[in-house]
Amino acid sequence: MKKLGSEGVISPIWNWKITAVSFSLLIFVVFLAISFGPVPLEFQKIIRTLFGLPGGLTGQERTLLIDLRLPRALLAAIVGAALATSGAVYQTVFRNPLADPYLLGAAAGAGLGATIAITSAGADLYSLLPIFSFFGAILAVLVSFFISGKFFAEPNSLLLSGIAVGSFATAVQTYLQQRNSSSLRPVYSWILGELTVANWQKVIWSSTYIFIALTILITVSKQLDGLMLTDEESYSLGINPNRLRVIAVIAATLATATAVSASGLIGFVGIVVPHLVRGITHRVTNRGLLTIALVGASFLVLADLGARTLLSPAELPIGVITAFVGAPFFLVVLRKKRLVSQ
Amino acid sequence: MIKVEDLSVRFGQKEILKDINVEIENSKWTCLVGPNGAGKTTFLRALLGSQSYSGSITDSGAEVYKNHDRNVAFVPQHPQIPIGMSVSEYVLLGRSKRDGWGNESKKSRALVADILKLTGLFGMQNQFVSQLSGGEMQRALIARALVQEPTLILLDEPTSALDLHHQIAVLNNIELLKERGVTIVSTMHDITLAAMYAEKIVVMQEGRVLLSGTSDFVIHSPELQVAFENRISVFTLDSGRPVIVAKKDLPN
Repeated sequence: MKKLGSEGVISPIWNWKITAVSFSLLIFVVFLAISFGPVPLEFQKIIRTLFGLPGGLTGQERTLLIDLRLPRALLAAIVGAALATSGAVYQTVFRNPLADPYLLGAAAGAGLGATIAITSAGADLYSLLPIFSFFGAILAVLVSFFISGKFFAEPNSLLLSGIAVGSFATAVQTYLQQRNSSSLRPVYSWILGELTVANWQKVIWSSTYIFIALTILITVSKQLDGLMLTDEESYSLGINPNRLRVIAVIAATLATATAVSASGLIGFVGIVVPHLVRGITHRVTNRGLLTIALVGASFLVLADLGARTLLSPAELPIGVITAFVGAPFFLVVLRKKRLVSQ
Repeated sequence: MIKVEDLSVRFGQKEILKDINVEIENSKWTCLVGPNGAGKTTFLRALLGSQSYSGSITDSGAEVYKNHDRNVAFVPQHPQIPIGMSVSEYVLLGRSKRDGWGNESKKSRALVADILKLTGLFGMQNQFVSQLSGGEMQRALIARALVQEPTLILLDEPTSALDLHHQIAVLNNIELLKERGVTIVSTMHDITLAAMYAEKIVVMQEGRVLLSGTSDFVIHSPELQVAFENRISVFTLDSGRPVIVAKKDLPN
C-alpha cells in the first residue's frame, strides 16, 4: 500500500521494480517451458545452444528445442501478452471491470472469420486464417460501433452492442460449423485454442502485429487513466478522450485479432491477468500495462506447459487449462473484490 | 477576462443555449443559477472548450476550444468514480495537465500531500475513492482541482448532494482557489449560497441569460422573481446577508 513518506510526499504511482520482477518471471517461465516435456532438456545445455556456445544440444534434441518448444513458448508468450493487455485496455476504455477481448465482439468476429476460412478454404487453411480473423474482428468492432449509434456517447451501449454482435457472430459460426461437418474437427480444436501448430513463421507474423499494437497501447497507457474520469474531466486534464478511445480500441482489437488467429479462442486471460496484477500491486493505473503484458505472457506459457504435460503424451487444449484456472479465480475475485460498483 | 459573445449551442434540432453574452471577470466567483434544463451545464462545457458552439468564447483573447494550453479544472456534478483507485492517485491525476501524463515530479507529490491536509483528506489517501462519502468525494474533487493549479475552475452543482455542514466545508474549500487568484464559475441550485459566496450571479432560463450582475443587484432585482415565476421570497438578515426561500403558495 502507498504510504506517505516522512517528507510528506505521496509515493510514486507505479514502482518499476514490479515490472522488472515480472520480466524476470517471464524469462524463468519460458526456460521452464522449453526444458520440460516428455524429453527433458538440461537448462545448461539450452543456454549454451541459445547463445551458440560449445557443448549445446545436438541432433533431435536441438530440433526439439529450436523448431518445436521455443517457437511454441514464444507464441504462447506473445498471445498471452496480447490478450492480457487488450483486456486491461478494454476494461479502462469501457469503464467496465468485466470487459475483455470477448466483448465488443472482437474475439467472436475473429472466430467467425477463421471459421469461414477453415470451412471454405480447405487445404490452404493456415495461411488464410490470420487474414480472415483479423477482418472478422475489425468488422465486428465496426458493426458494434455502428449499432451503438453515437460513437462514444455512452460506453455501456457500445458494450451491449458488442455482446449482441459477438453472439450473432458465434451463431453464424456454429451454423457454418454444423453445415460443414467434414471440417468440424479442425474448427472445434481451433475453438478450444491451440498452440500445437506453432512455428517460426507464425511467431514472426503474430509478434509483428502484436508488437505494433502493444507499443501503441503502452505509449498511451499513462493517458488511459484519464478515461476513468468523465469526458469533461479528462478533457480538462489535457486529453482528447474520443481520440484516445479510438486509438486504444483499434490497437487492442488488432492485438486480440492477431492473438485469436494465431492460437484460437483462449478465454479468461484478458480478465484474470489484469485483475491479478492490480490485486497484488493494489494499483489500478494503466502504468502497469507493461507488467500486465509480461504477466499475461508468463500465464499463457505456464498454461501451455500444463496443456502439454498434464496428460502427456496426449495434449489438452490450452483453452481448457485457462478456463479451468481462470473461471474459479474469476469467481473468487468477483466475490471478494466486488468488482462491479454498486 | 472571459468574453462570451452570441454563444449558441444546438443538440440536433434543440437549441440548448441561445445568444448568450456575458463577461466573466478574472479571480472572481461567478455563479450560474436557474431552473433545471436552463442550459447551465452545457454553458460550463462550452467554457471548458469541450462543447462545440457557435459564437465566440475568448479567454484572455484566445478562442477557448482552440487553446489547448489553457489550464481549466472541471468538477462534474456526477463524477465517474474509478474503481480501485486510491485517493492520493486520484488527486495526483490533477498534476497531469502541468507535469504531463505519468510524469509527476516529486514536488507535485509533495503538493498533493499538502493539499490533502488542506482539504481534510489527509489520512484517507490510501482509501479507495469508491469508499468515500459524498462530502469526502466532493473534497477529493476540489483537492484535485487545487493541485491542478488552474487559471479557471468550472464546478457543476458542487453542493447539490451534500448536507448543510458539508456544503459549507466544500464552498470554503472552493474559496481557497479564489484566494489563489483562480477564476471560479459554478452552477448552483441554492441561490442563498450563491449570494453568500459569489461576486456575480448569472440567471439563466431556457438557454438564455435572463439577468446578470453583482450578487446584490441580482438578488434584489424584480427579474429574479420572473425567472422563478414569483415562487421565491427574498429576506435580508440582520447581518445584511440575503436569504432566498421558496414560497409555499403557488402563484394563481
